[in-house]
Amino acid sequence: MSSPAPALAHGQRQIAVVRLADASQAVAVLSLAFALSLVFSPVWFPAMIVRSWQHGQLMPTMMAFTLLLDTYLYLRVAYLQSARPKPVAAVCLGSLPLLVIAGLSLVLQSAVSHTLSAGLPNPQGRIGEEIVAQTYLGLVCSVFLPFLVIRLLQQFKAGNTA
Amino acid sequence: MVSGATLKWLIWISLYVIPVVLLPWAISRAWVHQHRRELPLQPHQLFQRGELGLPSLILASSVIWNLLQSQFTPQTVALGSVILGVSGTMAVTVWVETYCRQASGSDSRPERAWRDSRSLALLVFSMAAVMEILLDRFARVGGR
Repeated sequence: MSSPAPALAHGQRQIAVVRLADASQAVAVLSLAFALSLVFSPVWFPAMIVRSWQHGQLMPTMMAFTLLLDTYLYLRVAYLQSARPKPVAAVCLGSLPLLVIAGLSLVLQSAVSHTLSAGLPNPQGRIGEEIVAQTYLGLVCSVFLPFLVIRLLQQFKAGNTA
Repeated sequence: MVSGATLKWLIWISLYVIPVVLLPWAISRAWVHQHRRELPLQPHQLFQRGELGLPSLILASSVIWNLLQSQFTPQTVALGSVILGVSGTMAVTVWVETYCRQASGSDSRPERAWRDSRSLALLVFSMAAVMEILLDRFARVGGR
């Protein structure tokens, strides 16, 4: 097989390689911001989350936020490596945050039903705390899991080509 | 308004930072002083094989244990346990991968191992902090 022309070979850029550290830094900052919000506004911040869930605005907001954050992180990695984004990674980043949050929305509905049917004291307070906890876990999952999937796919592909 | 009960997680979490970072640093300094040697003792040199991943998994396990003892619904407990467990496992994997690379003589990059383990350790630490705050809040709500 003939080798590529020098001009073409020079023009080809390598594909961006994602490491979990890229996403984990962002999730850590997100977690610390969430922790500080809970500590310094223990009433207003959870009440805002619960109110937006009751109005049906929480999940669309989370979807938009995580989609933008994931896209920014991936494009930043590609820019720092001077590499081109990979189509499979773009599909993962475009679909997984939406799927994760849609799935977690069902889990949250199930948790709320479970709390209401258990007949425990102070159900409103418990449901509020469940919503806050699952909002946080949903944010973490929808940012971290797409990068974990991309990383594992890259490892799998590297193992097959080696 | 920050209450003492809300801030108790800070003391709890610092109990992990002291043995993880300060204790190895202090012991290594004592060793250098005792043996009169010159050694690089910066954190990125001391933990250049990704050792921060090991206490991260211990921290994640202890928070999972607290989560299992809580009154959160099984859905929330399962979700929190899985994401904490995955994060802790990925932090340990950095150390394992670095060891395998060094032992096999293949491409070993200490600065990358330090960066990855530091980022994942920070992730587990921050997630543990949030989960402890949430557990504390839920215990107070559930106790009413």
